[in-house]
Amino acid sequence: MAAAALETATKELQQQIGLTTDGNQFLTFNLGEELYGVDILRVQEIKGYTAVTKIPNTPSHIKGVLNLRGTIVPIIELRTKFSMPTIDYTAFTVIIVVVVRDKVMGLVVDAVSDVLNIDKKDIQPPPQFGAKVDVSFLNGIGKSNDKLVALLDIDRLLLDDEMQNDTKAA
Amino acid sequence: MSDEFAQFQEAFFEEAAEHLAIVEEGLLALEQHPKDLELLAKIFRSAHSIKGASGMFGFNAVTQFTHKMETLLDLLRNGEKAVSPPIADLLLKSTDCLKTLIEAVKSGVAVDDEVVQRLAAELASASGAQAPVVAQKQAVAAPTQSEHQERSYLIKWTPPEWLFQRGLDPLQVLKELNGFGELSSVTLDMSRVPDLAEIDPEKCYLSWELRLLTGKDLKTIEAAFEFVREDSKLVIEEEREALSVKRETSESGHDTRFTNDDQRAEDGAPKPLGAILVESGVVSPAVLEQALSQQKKVGEILVEQKVVTPQQVEQALQKQKQQESAAQTKKTDTASIRVDTAKIDKLINLVGELVITQSMLSDLCSRFEIKQLPVLLERVAQLERNTREIQERVMGIRMLPIGTAFSRFPRLVRDLSTKAGKKIQLVLSGEETELDKTVIESIGDPLTHLVRNSADHGLEPPEERLDNNKSEMGTIRLNAFHEGGNICITVEDDGRGLNRDKIIAKAVKQGLIGENEKLSDDQIWPLIFRPGFSTAEKVTDVSGRGVGMDVVKRNIEALGGTVSIKTVTGKGTTFTLKLPLTLAIIEGMTVRVGKETYIVPLLSILESIQPKAGTIKTVVGKGELINVRGTYLPMIRMYEVFILEPEYTNPMKSILLILETEGERVAVMVDEILGQQQVVIKSMEQNFRKVEGIAGATILGDGTVGFILDVRGLLEIARHGTPIAA
Repeated sequence: MAAAALETATKELQQQIGLTTDGNQFLTFNLGEELYGVDILRVQEIKGYTAVTKIPNTPSHIKGVLNLRGTIVPIIELRTKFSMPTIDYTAFTVIIVVVVRDKVMGLVVDAVSDVLNIDKKDIQPPPQFGAKVDVSFLNGIGKSNDKLVALLDIDRLLLDDEMQNDTKAA
Repeated sequence: MSDEFAQFQEAFFEEAAEHLAIVEEGLLALEQHPKDLELLAKIFRSAHSIKGASGMFGFNAVTQFTHKMETLLDLLRNGEKAVSPPIADLLLKSTDCLKTLIEAVKSGVAVDDEVVQRLAAELASASGAQAPVVAQKQAVAAPTQSEHQERSYLIKWTPPEWLFQRGLDPLQVLKELNGFGELSSVTLDMSRVPDLAEIDPEKCYLSWELRLLTGKDLKTIEAAFEFVREDSKLVIEEEREALSVKRETSESGHDTRFTNDDQRAEDGAPKPLGAILVESGVVSPAVLEQALSQQKKVGEILVEQKVVTPQQVEQALQKQKQQESAAQTKKTDTASIRVDTAKIDKLINLVGELVITQSMLSDLCSRFEIKQLPVLLERVAQLERNTREIQERVMGIRMLPIGTAFSRFPRLVRDLSTKAGKKIQLVLSGEETELDKTVIESIGDPLTHLVRNSADHGLEPPEERLDNNKSEMGTIRLNAFHEGGNICITVEDDGRGLNRDKIIAKAVKQGLIGENEKLSDDQIWPLIFRPGFSTAEKVTDVSGRGVGMDVVKRNIEALGGTVSIKTVTGKGTTFTLKLPLTLAIIEGMTVRVGKETYIVPLLSILESIQPKAGTIKTVVGKGELINVRGTYLPMIRMYEVFILEPEYTNPMKSILLILETEGERVAVMVDEILGQQQVVIKSMEQNFRKVEGIAGATILGDGTVGFILDVRGLLEIARHGTPIAA
């Protein structure tokens, strides 16, 4: 009895300090009023926004490239990518550096929020809006307390998009 | 065989393995997409490369076989035959066979002639030609014939007792013998060694029994013992039986042969039982051989017991062979570089200096006052010197003299001249010019193609040369030299030069140009770099199929270099390859357009000018031309191409860079030149993708990213617009 209680307590503690993930931990961030999440295992680091070098003749959501300790990392502005209105960058504006297959990319977001544990049962499949709203890059909708978190499929979101441009360019 | 030659053979095997991989991969893909001509061209090029290189080394079996594959591939490429599953299958089988052939010349083992001949015949019949079967037989049999001439000798040698006193080493003799062929067994007789107390360390008590498999004659073998002959007991016998036994065991891929223990020992594999028994003196080699000859192969036993069918055994054996060859290629697959110790010592010294400078700097920073600024500046300058020197030295480690790439040509030219019945002399110069290792490795193929081309097409037959008042002997010159930040390699012949009319006729026939199109020489010569373009009337073993020149261009451009042609009818042709010294660092000019900084490779910049009023004209209201000392060059406004916000839109205020790419000159308008510096090229493709007009990125002094301009790409965008319209 006491052992079981201790176990539950340890588990809770571990989850609080982020030692276990159960594969369902998400880094959440804000774009305006909306909350998005990416699988925490895909996040390499979070860094403050610094000026980027614009790449000529690329779609506008590709902000440019950044020198990340000697490697060239493309930076994508998620607001533009989602056709949301752009805002001025603030002290909270950050770049979330994610790993997409073998590539490293950065996402500009309004602010990072929490790291959330979302149980599988609390994730529902992405909604269908038809042709009106493209949500093909969502893995699902997560519920955490009263918050709604749109869970991103970053492979789909970033890589397919770049590949498409690539074939167009070729 | 000299070390040097072995080294080139090594290179061939490495290259061949690569090409074979490409062919195989290509064929597999071709089965899926039988109509993909690009793919066919790729397979064809690789096959052609194997053919060319193998011919150079005189591996006739490989050359002939590849030639047959190539003939079939050519028909497919020209659309005269369609790719069908049986054809793809045949080609794949042939690729495997080719692999075996190459493996065979590498390791010196015999090939299964039957399979080779059957495939060769199949290839020929698939190509629709009734190839003379007899000729094939001879061809494939050629390399194995020399093997059959090998004899096995039993050598019993008891060296004189004074051997060590005279400072002679029996190992030297054994090594020399091993150099003649295969020293298949070495048995040491220590029976004469006395008890330890009685041993005279200066006396030799040993004797050997050796079995040598070699193509050399008795005299040569005896000569190896020349210095130790006196007072030696030496018996050399030729054995016939043992040889046949050995053949059988090795050809069947049998597992229990006791030969080659050296190899096994090197591999760390346990020695076979037989070898151990012989070594410990329990049985004599002859007894063992006899026992082995009676031993049946596992496969045969299984077939006799009707557990498996002969076909299954055959398949299993093939698999075993493949695995063997796969294991062998793996072994040689590590790239390494040999570095002069002096270079490393120098580097260590420099690193020492760097550490000292760094500690001086930290010391200074820990208690820095503003009045010490000059000291700080001086130390930073010292740090800069150190870093630059270390950088240069480290790059230097990768530098090798180009002679390594050149020295395979004398042989090639000799063979070509005999084959073509021409008299050719090869003149090499600038072999000491140093070049990055990767670059050297990649220019082998293109250079080979150019040299073959010069010998085959460029130089005329002796009679024609005499008729034209030229000396009978044709000359091919290979030269390498530094020019700016580049290495230039020229391949020059004094032959007939390119034939303008023939090229035009061929280009018109292939639909590359219109019939009445007026073209300048500079536009015509590059046509020969088009895939499938050859004006040779006859397809020869050497060239004429129109692969080669496009390979040359592709390979050189992949290295960031250029190829240019100069030709004078009747006087000769010169191909100039311009290559970057190294692939990782380029010398660049930093320029500013608006707020953006770009790096323009210095080697493409001819000059920079500030245009004067009235020198810029337009055609059809838009196309701008600038008069540079009498020549009108097209002008490109960089901010328009890259959609930037410039400081100046008036050319009179800005700077024009005159750039050259592939022989074309353009003027590119920028706001300002910031300076010149060496930049480290960083890949854009690693995390992103190729961007039109940009060759790569680099980190600028302030830590931000700057782009390196791809002049050719810029030109393309300016002409055809961008794929992603803004």
